Amino acid sequence: MSFTRRLLLKTTAAGGALAAFAGGFSETGRKLAKGAWAGEKPENAISGNAPKPEFRVDPTSGDIALTPGQIVAYTGCIGCTTLCGVRVRVDTERNRVLRVAGNPYTPMSTDPFLPYGTPVQDSFKALSRFQEKGLNGRSTACGRGNAVLENVTSPFRITTPLKRVGPRGSGRWEPIAFDQLVREVCDGGDLFGEGAVDGLKALRDLKTPIDPAAPELGPRVNQVALITGVPDGRESLVQRFFQQAYGSINSVGHGSYCGGAYRAGSGAVFGDTKQQPHAKPDIANAEFVVFIGTAPSNAGNPFKRQATLVAKARTDGALRYVVVDPVLTNARAAAAGERADWIPIRPGTDGAFAMGIIRWMFENGRIDDRYLSQPNGKAAEAAGEAGWCNATHLVVVQKGHPREGRLLRASDLGWVTLDEKDRYGDKDAFVVLDPATGAPVAHDALTTAATLFHDGTVATGTGDLAVKTSLTLLREEAMRLDLRAYSDACGVPADVIGGLARELTSHGKKAAVNAHGGMMSGSGFYNAFAVVTINTLLGNLNWKGGTIVGGGRFPENGDGPRYKLASFPGQVKPSGLPLGRNVPYERTSEFKARKEAGKPYPAKAPWYPTAPGLTTEWVSSGIVDGYPYPVKALLLWNANPVYGIPGAHRFAQKLADPKTVPLIVAVDPFINETSALADYIVPDTVLYETWGWTSAWGGVPTKMTTARWPVLVPRTDTLPDGQPIQLEPFLIALAKRLGLPGFGPGAIEDMDGNRHPLETAEDWHLRAGANIAWLGKQPVPDASDEDIAFSGVERVLPALKAVLKPEEWRKVAFILARGGRYQNQAEGFEGDRAAHRFAKPLQIHNEAVGTSKSSLTGRRWPGTATWMPPVFADGTPVSRVHTPADWPFQLVSSKSVLVSAYTIGATRLRHLHPENPVGVNVEDARRLGIRTGDRIRIATPGGAELATAIVRHGVMAGVLAVEHGFGHREYGARTHVIGDHRQPEVPGIAAGINLNDLGLVDPTRTGASVWVDPVAGTAVRQGIPARLERVAAA
Amino acid sequence: MDQSRRNFCLGAGAATVGAATLSTAPAEAAVARKGGDPAHRWAMVVDVRKCVGCQACTVACIMENDVPENSFRTIVSTYEVTEHDSSGTYMLPRLCNHCEDPPCIPVCPTGATFQRRDGIVVVDNTVCVGCAYCVQACPYDARFINHETQTADKCTFCVHRVDAGLLPACVETCVGGARIFGDLNDPGSTVSKLVREQDLKVLKPEQGTQPRVFYVGLDPKFQGRVDGTPTLWRPSAHAERSLAGKEHA
Amino acid sequence: MDTNIVEIINVTREVAWLPWAVQYFFLIGLSVGGLLLSLPGYAFAREEWRRLGRVALLVALTCGLAAPVALLSDLHQPGRFWHFYVVLRPTSWMWWGSLFIPFYVTGLLVHGWACFREEFQQQGRVDSRLAALYRLAALGGGRNDRLIRGTGLVVLAGAALVALYTGTEVAVVKARPLWHTPFLPVQFLMTALVGATGLVLLLNRFAAVTDHEVEVQANRLLAGALGGVMVVGGLWLALGLFGIDRTHAEALESVAKSEAWRVTAIWAVLATALPFVIAVAKPKGTGLLTGLIAVHSAWMFRWTVFIGGQTVPKTGAGFYEYALPAGPDGLLGIVGTAGLWVFLLLSITALLPTPPRSAPHPVRAVPAADRAVAAE
Ligand SMILES: Nc1nc2c(c(=O)[nH]1)N[C@H]1C(S)=C(S)[C@@H](COP(=O)(O)OP(=O)(O)OC[C@H]3O[C@@H](n4cnc5c(=O)[nH]c(N)nc54)[C@H](O)[C@@H]3O)O[C@H]1N2
Ligand SMILES: Nc1nc2c(c(=O)[nH]1)N[C@H]1C(S)=C(S)[C@@H](COP(=O)(O)OP(=O)(O)OC[C@H]3O[C@@H](n4cnc5c(=O)[nH]c(N)nc54)[C@H](O)[C@@H]3O)O[C@H]1N2
Ligand code: SF4
Ligand code: SF4
Ligand code: SF4
Ligand code: SF4
Ligand code: SF4
Ligand SMILES: [Mo]
Repeated sequence: MSFTRRLLLKTTAAGGALAAFAGGFSETGRKLAKGAWAGEKPENAISGNAPKPEFRVDPTSGDIALTPGQIVAYTGCIGCTTLCGVRVRVDTERNRVLRVAGNPYTPMSTDPFLPYGTPVQDSFKALSRFQEKGLNGRSTACGRGNAVLENVTSPFRITTPLKRVGPRGSGRWEPIAFDQLVREVCDGGDLFGEGAVDGLKALRDLKTPIDPAAPELGPRVNQVALITGVPDGRESLVQRFFQQAYGSINSVGHGSYCGGAYRAGSGAVFGDTKQQPHAKPDIANAEFVVFIGTAPSNAGNPFKRQATLVAKARTDGALRYVVVDPVLTNARAAAAGERADWIPIRPGTDGAFAMGIIRWMFENGRIDDRYLSQPNGKAAEAAGEAGWCNATHLVVVQKGHPREGRLLRASDLGWVTLDEKDRYGDKDAFVVLDPATGAPVAHDALTTAATLFHDGTVATGTGDLAVKTSLTLLREEAMRLDLRAYSDACGVPADVIGGLARELTSHGKKAAVNAHGGMMSGSGFYNAFAVVTINTLLGNLNWKGGTIVGGGRFPENGDGPRYKLASFPGQVKPSGLPLGRNVPYERTSEFKARKEAGKPYPAKAPWYPTAPGLTTEWVSSGIVDGYPYPVKALLLWNANPVYGIPGAHRFAQKLADPKTVPLIVAVDPFINETSALADYIVPDTVLYETWGWTSAWGGVPTKMTTARWPVLVPRTDTLPDGQPIQLEPFLIALAKRLGLPGFGPGAIEDMDGNRHPLETAEDWHLRAGANIAWLGKQPVPDASDEDIAFSGVERVLPALKAVLKPEEWRKVAFILARGGRYQNQAEGFEGDRAAHRFAKPLQIHNEAVGTSKSSLTGRRWPGTATWMPPVFADGTPVSRVHTPADWPFQLVSSKSVLVSAYTIGATRLRHLHPENPVGVNVEDARRLGIRTGDRIRIATPGGAELATAIVRHGVMAGVLAVEHGFGHREYGARTHVIGDHRQPEVPGIAAGINLNDLGLVDPTRTGASVWVDPVAGTAVRQGIPARLERVAAA
Repeated sequence: MDQSRRNFCLGAGAATVGAATLSTAPAEAAVARKGGDPAHRWAMVVDVRKCVGCQACTVACIMENDVPENSFRTIVSTYEVTEHDSSGTYMLPRLCNHCEDPPCIPVCPTGATFQRRDGIVVVDNTVCVGCAYCVQACPYDARFINHETQTADKCTFCVHRVDAGLLPACVETCVGGARIFGDLNDPGSTVSKLVREQDLKVLKPEQGTQPRVFYVGLDPKFQGRVDGTPTLWRPSAHAERSLAGKEHA
Repeated sequence: MDTNIVEIINVTREVAWLPWAVQYFFLIGLSVGGLLLSLPGYAFAREEWRRLGRVALLVALTCGLAAPVALLSDLHQPGRFWHFYVVLRPTSWMWWGSLFIPFYVTGLLVHGWACFREEFQQQGRVDSRLAALYRLAALGGGRNDRLIRGTGLVVLAGAALVALYTGTEVAVVKARPLWHTPFLPVQFLMTALVGATGLVLLLNRFAAVTDHEVEVQANRLLAGALGGVMVVGGLWLALGLFGIDRTHAEALESVAKSEAWRVTAIWAVLATALPFVIAVAKPKGTGLLTGLIAVHSAWMFRWTVFIGGQTVPKTGAGFYEYALPAGPDGLLGIVGTAGLWVFLLLSITALLPTPPRSAPHPVRAVPAADRAVAAE
């Protein structure tokens, strides 16, 4: 090598080396150049960027010194449907929420909670270190509740009305003016260059029947339908608009894909399958609770309150509890030792488990005879009971008798003669046997116990009639199978069932069972019916430590005491047959026609006479097949059925076709899997920006209403008059353009007949607040100036003063300052009974259920709790169609303890728990060679998905456990282009899988369907048959 | 000289240097403390039996202290534990122990890490050089380098709140009521009572750090390094990236 | 049934000592090793060691200069490095290190100058444009063995302190059982010698003409160093395996369950045994191979200790995964330090080209005691 070449080489090498050095040390160089602060300089040398504390507490006096620039306000959370009252710390200048914790006045966040009269300043004291008050008076927000403030500043929020560009679901939108939005939605026209679309104006036809041949369907206005999801406390206004003013009967919530099956089963027991009352265990005072398909502290509602109470009761209190669940969740805390237990159960078999317990109770004489044998409320009261049930009421069991399955009535025995309309009504007594004489008597005629078991006849004017008591029917049902058979069905060993039953019946009224999401299987209704019936046999309703219905709410939407919000002149009473077909098929023209044709059954698709509205049927047969009638316009508010209903995703394509529904308008702050298919999206405000009056959906002994009020300036665009664009101005503008009654100037009447406008959100919500303030024996006190100063209510004071009367605004301020109205804790119980009781009889035999028929088979459903394996609509067991040999696994879904479906965008939660690997049982995994972290393929008759496996002991063999809330396709998982702005796309939001993408259709039905419980019509997300295979290593 | 300090000066020849410099008894170490009010000795008791694993504490801490993304001053480690055919979920809140004898302090070459007279161990971010020696020395993985400030970061017991008469953020919002905060110097405080009356445990006692975060219901299996299958998902900067787009089979 | 634990939610702590630290400990180790190897030939004026010593000195200098730069980069606030020097923190080995490093590096420079002064002088006699500069660098003198020995002893002290502090700094970290063993400083030193010898072999190989004598010498040294490494490693393992000593048992325990660590262990054994066998069996002509393996195993040892060590969670289950980032805190940093080192090497060797072998060392005949005088 020549010298020069060598030199050249060396110099080049040296140059290269130097370049590498420069590259490698660039960062160091940059940092060096920055000098003393290579990073970002935080505010404080020790506490970094932590903002100044919201207030300071004097260590000796406890006096509060507020921090300028910040307010602490008590408002509401929408991090999940629990809807807790929370305290929000706001940086007023930046209009940002700094942090969220609990509101010490509300039982949703605090136990024990503060007396309602406590001055706001003292409530701050109660949260502080001062005298360690803050430890006992601790008021909390959960992990989601702490993170959901990210939704306010989320880059995925929409802030201006959007109109789709290109086909539905294309992800391209143009921002449009509010006026244009209202005009187009009302007036219709060739909105998308795809031909004429009817607007809401044309569709509001209150007279013309949808089908003259089927007048029961109602007028054409019913072809406009509304799905609402999270009931965030503004429903009363929405219903005023949609049902009372616009006039459609078709408004539905998310119940049928929430815990509808449980609620339906509970409704059967509580004797109201439409409102579906339910009770919750009094966790604080119970000694033993069995949670069957609900997971307190992992999910459950009220999530946070239950979590707090369970933690306290299992540690400091008397509580022992057992969670019966195919999957181990946080509900079974190992550290609680004996106090918490977990029993795995095969999905969808809780009916067998519960009936096993019931059988054991009967066999071992461990039912609460004294409670069960009381024929009426008075006798029960006299016997020292806190409620009663129809266990002793006689049921007609005569085969072929027109009243078969019905409860025997006084009129059946000719004891009374009543008008046809009153017959079998409240005035028509039930019949029981007097144990003294053995003779039938009216149930309300006895003052003591009636005969509990009877299988025989009673004499009627027309001969002997075979009857049994309700409890006899239940006992027969329970005895149908022996414990072993029940055990074989549910996978819980017989001795465990017996042991549990013994324990459950060893605590008097201080024991309870509870259920919820775990009932969402193909046998959910009867599973839930059976589970809730256990409580009836325990006689624990209305008892401290038993089950309680709770204090309920201070209704804001009544006709008074200050404003008539429930009614208005010109209001429409919607009529017709709802889209969910939740009415008896036998009353339809279709039935009549088919009957005439000689074949009344099957109906085209199932009908659900004992159910409330069913979104499950709406999105499948209803909207897609147009059965019983087509939908012309669909409104969505805070709902996401495409993501939330198992199997519904397959109809996304259909929904995207304007021929299926010509107009879809969504009101939502985010673009979710359903609203992505809309024609228009109206930006709604998010939690801390909104008004709303909410309450607990159970489990709180006292009466309460949470006030959610805007503690931030909304980030949506504003209208010329300064109102932020959100749900309320949209509805009001629609109403005005459509000329609907009940909105606009003079729409709200006060109790003196004066009229007040309904032009803004405040016009409604503040008057609702005034109603709340005046409820009860006496109105709430006036807020003091100090209350106002400390609570941040100052912010909305101008609105209060503008809308409310001089004597009102301080009272409403009193409520807002405390984040709601709350009955004092001490008033929850009177002695050992609940102050707010369920007074009507519980149903051992529910005649509405027992006389309803499957519209596919014409067969009657049992009227008591029973065990029925998961079936399809025509009663075919699912395992016969999709055999275990072919589909050896069953998918179940449990809520993520951290995320709810719409908090997936919160990065702080995602970073903590970025994915939802599917839980596979150790033995199954070993057999299939699957290890934690492996990629697996899960196939069901409804589809296939790739997922990541986590091998667990805490998943029952044969079960695949999917945590709910992941596997999104929207919310930021996919880019949307709005005008020329591209929303970011975050792959992490799409991480994991959504069980619902694997949901089934019902092969026994024709037309569009998702698999639902045949009685309750509720979505099936538990026990979906599946196959599993390993795809790749971790 | 206690055991941990003796162990500190290992290595041939180091003994001389070590003995001269490390013989500081804890009492002397206490003298070296600065700031804070010596009238107090802040501590936490975590009642594991009450923890529901809701991570409210974790997120509250992040929000309160502006903890950078993918970093954590506290976390509730959640485990599925199976023993004798019975499975349960074990939830273990972890944070800085504000040790009485904290190994993170002697290693600090600049004095940025120090202990206040009320026992709270803090980092002065204007002094810290970001050498991460303290990160290595903490036996509890309680420390990390804050990538925004480029200095050591950890739980401060929310010193700014405590000084203002408030409770730490994680304590305020603890849904299960598992986190109890207070003053060990006050015999009437809840933590003092618990320390007197309950059989409290600490994490890694053999490290001799004398933690001032105590646990009720701490299972020995979780006292040190946990022997088990690790989590699949590691929250870190690349977690978001590596979870590539959704596949559909 | 055994206890089975599955972590459902937990967090990772990322490594806080970055690959920069590996580079620093590697380079400073090599420098110390190089210095030690250079001592017989220079400070102790053993002529048969001098050619090897010269290469070793190059190793010591180039690595010793590059190392602190890597260390600086491992500080997340490099601009605050001076904070070390305005406090008294005798409890911190790192603080001591901040004193030792400048002491050592300065000593090394002075010593290097003393050693090369002779060459400066010679270069100053060659007719070139730089001659004046060389003459200036020689400060009007030549080889001065007393000066060399004097500076050599000082820098030896510096090297000892550096070796002590680097090893101890890590070994005192009780929180990491893997680090917390009295063996670690010894292992660092032994592997440093291995690495330095390896680098000598490589530089020797890449010099214009491979010096086979040096190669054989170095290979023998290497074999010795590797033997030492094996003995220490064996002891470490034995103490751990038989649970004789708690810290070792814990150190072993902390990684025993990991597949990756088992692979690393096998690798380490191979990387020690293989060059050992080669160096013993065929010391000539194998320098490139043994040198490469040796350098690599010295680096690997540090990588494993630092990066590997930090992937052992202190409380969590299993092991953290480490993925080498591409940027300055990862690959680019490693390449960058290598670049710096190459640059330093090229610069120094450009300034001080290897003296031609044919010219036997003129001073050989002169009695040692007279040299200093002669040079003046
Ligand atoms: N963390 C969190 N909490 C929440 C919510 C949330 O999104 N996240 N959402 C709130 C809402 S809307 C609701 S409705 C409630 C619901 O609260 P839960 O009913 O408590 O919750 P789910 O997860 O729906 O179901 C409860 C459990 O049923 C189990 N399960 C599944 N199949 C079966 C079965 O066949 N039998 C039995 N016995 N169990 C089964 C599941 O594994 C799950 O753990 O939670 C509320 N609270
Ligand atoms: N596989 C499976 N499926 C399930 C479940 C399950 O456990 N597993 N759970 C079921 C249950 S219990 C339920 S209740 C349903 C829920 O299902 P849905 O009620 O249909 O929908 P959500 O996903 O709760 O979200 C409703 C909408 O509210 C919007 N929203 C969120 N925060 C705010 C706010 O602050 N303001 C306003 N205006 N809007 C907001 C969101 O953007 C979202 O579009 O899903 C059900 N689906
Ligand atoms: S339980 Fe739900 S509503 Fe309550 S704080 Fe948590 S996220 Fe918010
Ligand atoms: S990172 Fe900061 S606090 Fe920690 S040891 Fe280094 S200088 Fe001290
Ligand atoms: S837990 Fe770690 S960081 Fe906290 S004081 Fe103890 S050693 Fe230091
Ligand atoms: S005390 Fe403060 S800094 Fe420490 S973990 Fe709790 S919230 Fe975080
Ligand atoms: S907030 Fe309390 S209950 Fe919730 S995870 Fe943290 S320590 Fe546990
Ligand atoms: Mo729900």
